[in-house]
Amino acid sequence: MSIKIGEFVFPGDVLRDLTVVNGVILKGPGLHSHEEPNCLLVTRAGILCFKSPNTYWIDGQQKRYYPKRGDLVVGIIKKTGNICKVDIGSSELSSLSMLSFEGATKKQKPDLQVGDIVYAKLLSAHREMESELVCIDSYYKAGKLGPLSNDGFIMNISLNFVNRILDINCPLLKTLGQKYVFEIAIGMNGKVWINAKKTKDILNLMNALLAAEQESNSNIIKACKQYAS
Amino acid sequence: MEVENNTNLLMRDVNCKLGIFTRPDGSVFISQGETAVVVGIYGPIEVKLHKMLINKASVETHYCPKSGTPGISDKLCESILHNVCEAALVSTLYPRSSILIIIQEMQNRGGILSCAVNGCCLALLNAGTDMKFLFASSSCGLDDEGNFHLDPDNLFLEKATASFIFVFDSVGKGLIASHTSGSFNLAQYQNALELCKKASEGIFDFYKCMIKKDLQDKI
Amino acid sequence: MAKQFKSLHPTKFYRDYLNHDIRPDGRLISKFRPVIINIGSIATADGSALVRIGKTTVICGIKAELCPPKSERPNEGFLICNVDLPPLCSSKFRPGPPSDLAQITTRFLADLILNSACIDLKDLCIVKEKLVWCLYADIICLDHDGCIIDACLLVLLTALKTVRLPGVEYDAAIDKKTINEDEQKSLSIYNTPVSTTYAMFEDKVITDPTAEEEEISSGLLTIVVKNKELCSIHKPGGSPLSEEKLYDCISETINHADLLITLINTAVAEQND
Repeated sequence: MSIKIGEFVFPGDVLRDLTVVNGVILKGPGLHSHEEPNCLLVTRAGILCFKSPNTYWIDGQQKRYYPKRGDLVVGIIKKTGNICKVDIGSSELSSLSMLSFEGATKKQKPDLQVGDIVYAKLLSAHREMESELVCIDSYYKAGKLGPLSNDGFIMNISLNFVNRILDINCPLLKTLGQKYVFEIAIGMNGKVWINAKKTKDILNLMNALLAAEQESNSNIIKACKQYAS
Repeated sequence: MEVENNTNLLMRDVNCKLGIFTRPDGSVFISQGETAVVVGIYGPIEVKLHKMLINKASVETHYCPKSGTPGISDKLCESILHNVCEAALVSTLYPRSSILIIIQEMQNRGGILSCAVNGCCLALLNAGTDMKFLFASSSCGLDDEGNFHLDPDNLFLEKATASFIFVFDSVGKGLIASHTSGSFNLAQYQNALELCKKASEGIFDFYKCMIKKDLQDKI
Repeated sequence: MAKQFKSLHPTKFYRDYLNHDIRPDGRLISKFRPVIINIGSIATADGSALVRIGKTTVICGIKAELCPPKSERPNEGFLICNVDLPPLCSSKFRPGPPSDLAQITTRFLADLILNSACIDLKDLCIVKEKLVWCLYADIICLDHDGCIIDACLLVLLTALKTVRLPGVEYDAAIDKKTINEDEQKSLSIYNTPVSTTYAMFEDKVITDPTAEEEEISSGLLTIVVKNKELCSIHKPGGSPLSEEKLYDCISETINHADLLITLINTAVAEQND
């Protein structure tokens, strides 16, 4: 069965005749290696996507987050101590060392309480082990990472929608930015933190996001204008 | 979902609605005729220590009857649902976690087990949990004159001499589960199996149609 | 070495054995374990039997009581089975309420009795609407080494065949029961359903699996036959099975059933002599 890119595939389908570069096929979510060479087994329902030269993945619906190394996520502190436990929406809590903040030493640590929100990067995510978060990059600089203000609001959106708003062509944030002054942190785990000057603005923004989730890109601009007015 | 031009050999109407709840990762309302169930999936989620498996996810199924606490016949149902789902899931992808499947009976007018199995498959698709294959269940009954009725309701089952429930997989069309009641001979069993296999094709098409419709709105 | 290999790679251990068409306990893939039936093991019960399939041991005692019938079925008695899997029989079971497996087996047995119509509940009626026999069949597993359904069904049927009920005379006018111990009546068993369990392991089907094989297998299949007719084909999930293999299993079960029925009848006949 040869399956074309952009078509629907379902669990159990086998993809044959794939493009192989140096004997390697890069497979994304929803694909699994198959006994036969150059074949992949589909394990999720969705649209088959392909990126040149040899990357394949399935674009399907998903609400539960699986930690992936390098993802930027928004998490909620559940337990404090030298190593914090952070809820990032996956099957178990991730650990975040207090020393992995910019400029943190044993004596001078960031003041984090249970319920605080952090924007962090996944340093390691292996399914056999607990995932680990850091709030610094490889140059020991915080960049945009670190604790987020408690004035902001946090909301959950579906993982598909995260990918959509992070797409460079997505008009949503640009259009909203024309009307409101706001800060936003979008985690790959579906958690979004928003802060603006007025609570009313935040609520409007949250409603806009919720409404946009159901709309196509072209409708988003129209919908945004409606909310902004 | 027509099999032959005989009303006995037609499935009852199957309807479903995907993603009806916000909290579960996957949810579905499915009805077959007047039988209806709601299925919710959470997973992979945190697992209790005594149920943790280090090489794969532990699959937990809870079958809740319409009223009261689950009895022993519900347990039998639950064990079939559990084994079917466990066979289909690629549980090695999520070690040290659990996949929770909750099946709530809404109304039972015959064929509740079939309906619940189909609901589980749709809910797993809706949740985006990795599966090796799809599975579909269909049932049929045998009356005292030796005629087969596909997807019988409770009125027929009361006077049926035998009834059969099968679960098939979508790849090799192999038999995942079989549950029968009443006595019958081998030829009758073979006929029932063939009949239900044909009907299951229709259910697979139904799944694909529903999931396509659901995804097209979202992607 | 074999022991370490087995605990480290149990699946590979079995696969290597099965690729040579033999199992770790020395049996061929489609070989049944020896069955032992002992009857009248419990003297205080009205009917009892003990069955061993390989190492699996179950004991069944049937106690008869007199009781009024249900008003919606005034001329039918009761047969209530209960399967108990105590912690004694396997480390899998913990003390406390009955495990799921025990409940499922109980339910499955009750369904089988109903489906096969091996016993007519009307035979248990003494006086319509007033007095019927209620048979309590308690099945206790002493050693769980696979094929629990097969053993339970076999022991239940054997025990039912050994049941002796005393004669009862009932005077409805003064609600007086007279029990006549001299008159010992046996139950009529119309047919004998027997079952066989198979375990699926990769692409092979193993006959009569042990607990270890059940644990490692990817699914079980239980086939119940009576008089060359099928009574139940129960496959509670697991990996998919092709139809040819299923039909092979059915014909194997039918062949094996004759042997089991002969065994039951011999055991019961010996008691009667």
